[in-house]
Amino acid sequence: MSLVVGVDIGNSTTEACATLVGEHGEMTFLSGALGGTTGVKGTVENVSGVVEVVRRALAAAGRDPADLAAVLVNEATPVISGLAMETITETIITESTMIGHNPDTPGGAGLGVGTTVAFAGLPDCAAGSAVICVVGAGVDFEDAAAGINAATLRGVRVTGVVAHADDANLIANRLREPVPVVDEVTLVDRVPLGMRAAVEVAEQGRTIRTLSNVYGIATVFELDPEQTRLIAPVARALVGNRSAVVVRTPAGDIADRRIPAGTLTLIGEQTKRSVEMDAGAAEIMDTLRRVRPLVDAAGEPGTHVGGMLARVRDTMSELTEMPVDGVRIQDVLAVDTFVPQRITGGLAGEFALESAVALAAMVRTSKGPMELLAERLRAALGCEVLIGGVEADMALLGALTTPGTDRPLAILDLGGGSTDAAVSSGDGAHSVHLAGAGDLVTNLIDSELGLDNLELAEEIKKFPLAKAESFFHIRMEDGTARFFQEPLPADAFARVLVLTDAGMHPIPTRHGVEKIREVRRSAKHRVFVVNALRALEQVAPGGDIRHLGFVVVLGGSALDFEIPDMISEAVAAFGVVSGTGNVRGTEGPRNAVATGLVVSHAAARAVMERALHIPR
Amino acid sequence: MADTVAARDGAASRTLSLVEKGPALPGRRSDEVVIGVSPAFGAFFSRTIVDIPHADVLRELLAGVEEQGVQARVIRLRSSADLAVIAHTAAKLSGSGIGIGILSRGTTMIHQKDLLRLSNLELFPQAPLMDLETFRRIGRNAARYAKGESPEPVPSRNDYMARPRWQAKAALLHIKETGFVQPDAGPVELDVLIRLADAG
Repeated sequence: MSLVVGVDIGNSTTEACATLVGEHGEMTFLSGALGGTTGVKGTVENVSGVVEVVRRALAAAGRDPADLAAVLVNEATPVISGLAMETITETIITESTMIGHNPDTPGGAGLGVGTTVAFAGLPDCAAGSAVICVVGAGVDFEDAAAGINAATLRGVRVTGVVAHADDANLIANRLREPVPVVDEVTLVDRVPLGMRAAVEVAEQGRTIRTLSNVYGIATVFELDPEQTRLIAPVARALVGNRSAVVVRTPAGDIADRRIPAGTLTLIGEQTKRSVEMDAGAAEIMDTLRRVRPLVDAAGEPGTHVGGMLARVRDTMSELTEMPVDGVRIQDVLAVDTFVPQRITGGLAGEFALESAVALAAMVRTSKGPMELLAERLRAALGCEVLIGGVEADMALLGALTTPGTDRPLAILDLGGGSTDAAVSSGDGAHSVHLAGAGDLVTNLIDSELGLDNLELAEEIKKFPLAKAESFFHIRMEDGTARFFQEPLPADAFARVLVLTDAGMHPIPTRHGVEKIREVRRSAKHRVFVVNALRALEQVAPGGDIRHLGFVVVLGGSALDFEIPDMISEAVAAFGVVSGTGNVRGTEGPRNAVATGLVVSHAAARAVMERALHIPR
Repeated sequence: MADTVAARDGAASRTLSLVEKGPALPGRRSDEVVIGVSPAFGAFFSRTIVDIPHADVLRELLAGVEEQGVQARVIRLRSSADLAVIAHTAAKLSGSGIGIGILSRGTTMIHQKDLLRLSNLELFPQAPLMDLETFRRIGRNAARYAKGESPEPVPSRNDYMARPRWQAKAALLHIKETGFVQPDAGPVELDVLIRLADAG
C-alpha cells in the first residue's frame, strides 16, 4: 500500500485528495482538503498553496507526511477570463420637455394642464387663466400653499404645481382645491416658463395613464400626427412612473441615442465575421456560433469595444507575463445588461436604465512552467511529484465516482472565471473552456443594482434574501416568516438583508427584495444557463445535447443554492439526466479532478502490475 | 415671497406654543410617529445650542412626517432629560413603534420600541451640527420606518472641533435642563401651535 495525494490546482481553489493505493490498484480514500490557490494557476507561485493543502489533507487523514509516496498534480493550463462592460444607449433631454423622475411622495392626484408660471409671478396672472405653478428653491411650503390659495380665490385656475423641495404633500394638504404636485425637481429654475405644460400624479400604488400614453400627450397638447411622432419617446420614458411633468417647448426633444460602441471582429479558424456591438448580446453570440472555433477577437480601435478588448488583453498579459500581442482570445460571452445612468439634460436628477453589453473573454495561455512547478514541489514536499493527465479527463474520472452515474457522461464545471465542459467518449475526452462564470454574475449584480461594492454583490449572489419586518421576525424571499427570540441588530431593522453564513448583512439600497432577487436570478440565468447549454452543445456528439446520457455539474458555483436547479431545468428539455455531482459519494461537487488523478494513477498501477505478472 | 424671506431671516419669526392636554397614552394607529421632547423644550428654552428656534425645529420634524402621509403626535417627557429615555418612551407610546426624541439643545434620536433603550435606529449626537434640513430628513425617515420602508439613514455629520468648542455650553444647557426634571411626573400629550410672530 502506498499513500498518494491528488492535487487539483484551480483558478481560485486548490483541492487535495489523500488516498491509499494498493498494489492491484485498489483504493482507500482517506480525506479531502480545500484551500486558496496562491498566484496564477500553473505557475511556481502555486507551491505554497499546494504544500498547505497537502498538509491539511494528511492531517485530516491522521497520516505522517513522511509516509507520503507521491503527489499527483494536474496539468494546469492557465485559462483566465477578463471582463468589461460598456453602455450602448444614452437618453438625452433637450430644452427640458419633461420631468420624469419618480419622487417618493408626490402630492394630490389627477392631471393638470396650464401655462407654466413662477411662484413669484402668480399674483400677476389674469383671473380665469389656467396655470401650472413652479415653486422655486427657498419657498416655504406654507407660503407656497397660501400664495396658490390666494390666486385660486382671485379666480386663477392653478391646475398643477412643480416644486423644488420635498414638499408635495405639505403643499397639497394646505390647498383649498387639491391639484397634482410633483416635487424634488432639483433644477426647477430651468423649467421653461410661459409654456404649456401638463402635470400628472397617480394615486398611490398606481402609475400615470395620460402622459405615458403618446395619444394622451397628443390630446393634452392638441398635436398633429407629425408632432405626435416626435413626442413618442417622451411617453415611452414616462411609462411606469407615479408622477410626471411634460412641458411643450418649440424645440424640446428627448432622444434615445445609441452610442456607437464599435465593431467586434471574431476570427475563426475558417472565417472571419464582424458584428456591431450595439446589436446586443444575442446577435454577438449568434455571430460567434457561426465562426466557431474562435482563434482570436479584435475590437475596432478607438471605439468602446476596442477599449474593452484592450483592457482584457492588458490584464491577461499582466497576469501571465505574456506580450500583449501574444494574447489570443479563445472565447467571448456577451450578456445584455443595464446600468442606471443619470439622464443628460434632466431637471430632477432622473435616472434611466441604459442598455449595456458585458463581455467576458477567455484566454488560454501557453502551457505554464509545469516541470518547474513539479521540481519546486518535489523540493518542498520531499516526495515524488507526478504530473497527471489532461484536466478534463481527470474531472471525468472523478465525476464517475458520483453514485448513480455511468458513461456516456458529460461534466459541466462551473467555476469563477470560466465554464468548462467535457464528455467522455470511446477515444478519450473532448472538452471546451468557455468565458463567463461566477465573476461575471457578481459584476452584473453589482452594476444592475448600482451597488459599487463587489463583496456585497458576491454575497447577494451566494445567499438568499429576507426583509427585517420587526426586530423579532424576518420575511424570507419565498414569503415565509422566520422568528427570533433575541432582537436583530439595530442596523438590520426595516432593511433588505442577505442571510450569509457570517450573519445577516443589510443591503444599503432602495431596491426591494423582489427586485434584488429578480436581478440575481436573471444574472445567473444569462450567464450559467446560457453557458451550460453552449458548452454541452459543443462537446455533445454531433452537437446534439440529446445524445448525452448523464450530466454531472461540478465546481464552486455548483454549490450555489439555485444554479444547479436552473441548469437541471434547462437541460431537462433535452431528456438528459442532470444533477450536482457528489464525488466519492461524500465530497459534493468539489474534488473531482483531485480524485480523478488518484483514480487514474491507481488504474495505471494495476495495468503495470498485470503486465509484470504476465507469465513468460 | 416677502414673507418667506422674513421667515428665514427674521430672528423670532415663528412662535411655538406647547399646551399640555393630559397624560400621554399609547397610540393605536400604526401610521403614527410620536415625537418626544425634553422637559424644557419650547418652554424654558426656545432655541437649540446654535440658536435655531424650537418652533422651526419642531415644524420641520412635523413637516417631514406629514410629507410621508404619516400622523405625528408630540409628547413631553418630564421625568428625564436623558435622550435615550425620551426617544424610547416616545417609541413605546407610538402606535407604529417608531419615536423621535429631541433635547432642547438639539440632540436627536430615532428609536424603536423593541430595541434596547441604549440602542437606537439613528442617532444625531452633535447638536451644534444640526440644521433645519437635517430635522426635516429625520422626520421623513422616522415616518418611512413607520411605513415599513427601508430609508437610507440621514447622513450624521461629525466635526471633531464641535466637542472642544461646544462642550462647555452643552454641559451648562444639560445641567439647566436637568433642573426641570420632575422625577414622578409621567409623559404628557401636547397641543402644538406654531404661528408666524408678525401675523399674531
